[in-house]
Amino acid sequence: MKSPREIIESYSGRPLRIMEVCGTHTHEIFRCGIRKILPPQIELISGPGCPVCVTPPGYIDSAIELALEHKALICTFGDLIRVPGSRMSLAGARSQGAAVKAVYTPLDAVEIAKENPDKEVVFLAVGFETTVPSACLAVKHAESEGIKNFSLLTSNKTMPDAYRALGNCADAFLYPGHVHTIIGSSICLELLKGGISGVVAGFQADELLTALAVIAHHADNSSEAFFENCYKRIARDEGNPAAMRLINEVMTSCDAEWRGLGVIPGSGLKLNATYAAFDARLKFNVPECSGTPHAGCRCGEILKGLLKPEDCPLFGKVCTPVNPVGACMVSHEGSCSAYYQYGR
Amino acid sequence: MCVGLSARVVSVKGGSAVIDATGARRTVSAELLDDLEPGDYVMVHAGIAIAKITDSSENESNQIMEQLDEKSTGNN
Repeated sequence: MKSPREIIESYSGRPLRIMEVCGTHTHEIFRCGIRKILPPQIELISGPGCPVCVTPPGYIDSAIELALEHKALICTFGDLIRVPGSRMSLAGARSQGAAVKAVYTPLDAVEIAKENPDKEVVFLAVGFETTVPSACLAVKHAESEGIKNFSLLTSNKTMPDAYRALGNCADAFLYPGHVHTIIGSSICLELLKGGISGVVAGFQADELLTALAVIAHHADNSSEAFFENCYKRIARDEGNPAAMRLINEVMTSCDAEWRGLGVIPGSGLKLNATYAAFDARLKFNVPECSGTPHAGCRCGEILKGLLKPEDCPLFGKVCTPVNPVGACMVSHEGSCSAYYQYGR
Repeated sequence: MCVGLSARVVSVKGGSAVIDATGARRTVSAELLDDLEPGDYVMVHAGIAIAKITDSSENESNQIMEQLDEKSTGNN
């Protein structure tokens, strides 16, 4: 029996473009040196699966407005703090007196609201299906404990419509295992019927090698579309039904702007009417902003796999991890960050 | 924010669980998993246990490769 590495290294079939949808996949593939064993026919391209990277500048502008004008205490996952808005980042706003606190989980933000009843606490709810349940649980906890000074500024996104929008960009998707831990495999089977191939993959070196070997094996033996779940030990085919029930109870779908991809109809989530009291946009009357990214930034094309980070004129020169211009460099999970750290 | 943490469940009480990730302990929400017991392994995201881990990555990879081998043999 051949090992995954042997299957990958001996691949001699048609050229394959495989999209790592998830930024963590991009980083782990680099970190483990997997790119170095790929034959020339296999090309890995990075996709839009880093929630920080696809958060549009206008969302950051709204968060800054809440912090500076409404004096809200902003709680956020740490990787969002340095993402550039149209004029500044949350780190820049903090230097102007904004209260911005990094938390591990939105449940911590509820505790902060409880401890600070005289402050309005807003959690920046970004992320895909993996992190949406935690934001929903935070709202449920706040409601059950009667905490009125807590709300979410939502910019959550869902992957299925992004897959559909990106279907032609790659020969196969490396589906992010933790998104499918929540939503299951049914969407992959639906995409398969439309001729879109992919494999659900874990994040360790052996899991990534196995997933890539499965793709190479299928491509070597057949021209037909394929799907396999290579992460069943965690991502069950049915997903996490309790998490999906929670999301459907608290959120409703909406159109969402993805940095670089534009608006994808139905690909976002916001609080539904039952939980509208926890919606920061409604509570503080903050409209959706359409911010503008840096003119030279090519994050958009990079997120669609059309360009590599080194094709961007700012990469490694003006835009570095110390002084990031685009979101793909800010986030540790961003493809520019990965290329800067490992790929140059 | 997207990096998951695999951890062993130390104790379960109400909707919470104390987990141990290579020595570091933390309380996380266990509200999205049924029948969690001490000794189980879970995947944790943003403070919430989102799945039980039912096998090792090594076993799973070996099974997948064996299935691929069987398919290859069947094709020949």
